[in-house]
Amino acid sequence: MLEDIGKLWARYGPLYMEGLWGTLWMSLLTVLVATVIGTAVALIRNARFRPTRFLMKCYIEVVRGTPILLQLYFFWLFLPKIMPFEVSDTVSIVTALIFNSGAYVAEVVRAGIQAVDHGQTEAGLSLGLGRWHLFSRIIYPQALKNILPALGNEFIMMIKETSLASVFFVSELTTSYKTVQSVTFKSIPSLTIAGVIYFAMTFLLTRLLGILERRMKSNERKA
Amino acid sequence: MNGKREILRTKALHKSFGKEEVLKGIDSAFFEGETVAIIGASGGGKSTFLRCLNLLETPEAGEIYFEGEPLMCAKADKASSRSAKEMLRTLFLARETTAKNTGAVRTARQRIGMVFQHFNVFPHLSVIDNITLSPVLEKNIPKAEAEKKAEELLERVGLLEKKNEYPTRLSGGQKQRLAIVRALAMEPDVMLFDEPTSALDPEMVKEVLDVIRDLARSGMTTLIVTHEIGFAREVADRVLFIADGLIYEEGTPEEIFDRPQKEKTRQFLSKVL
Ligand SMILES: Nc1ncnc2c1ncn2[C@@H]1O[C@H](COP(=O)(O)OP(=O)(O)OP(=O)(O)O)[C@@H](O)[C@H]1O
Ligand SMILES: [Mg+2]
Repeated sequence: MLEDIGKLWARYGPLYMEGLWGTLWMSLLTVLVATVIGTAVALIRNARFRPTRFLMKCYIEVVRGTPILLQLYFFWLFLPKIMPFEVSDTVSIVTALIFNSGAYVAEVVRAGIQAVDHGQTEAGLSLGLGRWHLFSRIIYPQALKNILPALGNEFIMMIKETSLASVFFVSELTTSYKTVQSVTFKSIPSLTIAGVIYFAMTFLLTRLLGILERRMKSNERKA
Repeated sequence: MNGKREILRTKALHKSFGKEEVLKGIDSAFFEGETVAIIGASGGGKSTFLRCLNLLETPEAGEIYFEGEPLMCAKADKASSRSAKEMLRTLFLARETTAKNTGAVRTARQRIGMVFQHFNVFPHLSVIDNITLSPVLEKNIPKAEAEKKAEELLERVGLLEKKNEYPTRLSGGQKQRLAIVRALAMEPDVMLFDEPTSALDPEMVKEVLDVIRDLARSGMTTLIVTHEIGFAREVADRVLFIADGLIYEEGTPEEIFDRPQKEKTRQFLSKVL
């Protein structure tokens, strides 16, 4: 078994690395774009105008209430149909992942903003701060402290969830496993390699986040 | 006080929270340089009244004048503009903060300082940045000039050596002194204090009251909601007793504390004195 793994790795290492690269860029891009979208959705969700508030709530509920695999299928089927230009599977899948992640990030951002003491808003207003300055200089920097750790977790979640892209043979780590498996028929060794890489990645990232979070907290106390 | 410039005036101010009518038509006027203490039972609407004066609460009816200019006329305000900018605001901006932040209100707020019971200093900014933030952003004062001014103010309240600290490292009394100079940095025409010492440990009350006393004596128009009757008697030119959503009785400290005319005032004072 160990020997098999060694052989497979020697032979197909580059393929796994290519998959790992796919997993990483898709996850990172998804979370970055989802952060922008999520922030906008969160703001609209907290705003005064009811119709858009309702629309955003629907979006979040739909994303949370349906399986992510179904969402991927949906975008994979429909995006190429409605777009005037050619849409690759990768683009469809990443779009779907962003659609999914945006809703979760929106909730994270909203909670982060709401966790900022309302007294901060009042103090800002009483000093005559305009709305933009109030948000960008007072509320958002404080909300960010609540949001960043959750965004890190979302990234880790995405690393795992991008594995669903293998259903559509989009290049990422689980797809690499499937390729290796179908060529060599060595199911368990090829799967083990993918699993170890996933675990190493999420484990390292979790530790890294923990350290960053602790440093942020201690900075606050020291500073 | 007659003949002095009028700073704030309210006419028939009404404010309800749900079914509960907290302010039932408050008429008041405050003049340049005077110190007014506002007292009354807990839940009587003192904070609500003070917060209406800079529109942190939006009254349902009544009028507020700041230096003679209408800050709010409930009737006229209904028809707000439907410009694209205003639409964007309602689309993105938080419900709470849309509680009036138009240009005119903002300009008025810059000249109405407010100090809160729980300090509300900005924890993510250093002491000096807490103070310079608004002058730099909203009054376009050069950073260096704003810092020089901030240092003078910090010196005045004995916090100069803390200027680069963050608020988490300050005691309650120090935070409140910071909150006071943060408001003063905007060079307001009037200062509103909402129970500035209620959240403080007893040993820190004096340092904050000393600052407020100095300020009041220096001629700043000062409104202070307080349970510190001794302090009110000492610094106030005028005392307002709020009860039942109205200014129930008002007068000089001697009139209110020594010879209250109304039964309710006497009852309240017998509890707190
Ligand atoms: N944001 C709010 N929402 C609902 N009710 C409120 C709100 N703010 C105040 N109230 C109610 O209005 C009434 C008056 O409150 P207010 O804080 O003005 O009293 P106060 O005189 O300042 O009391 P205290 O001495 O305890 O500070 C209270 O019954 C309170 O519960
Ligand atoms: Mg109060």
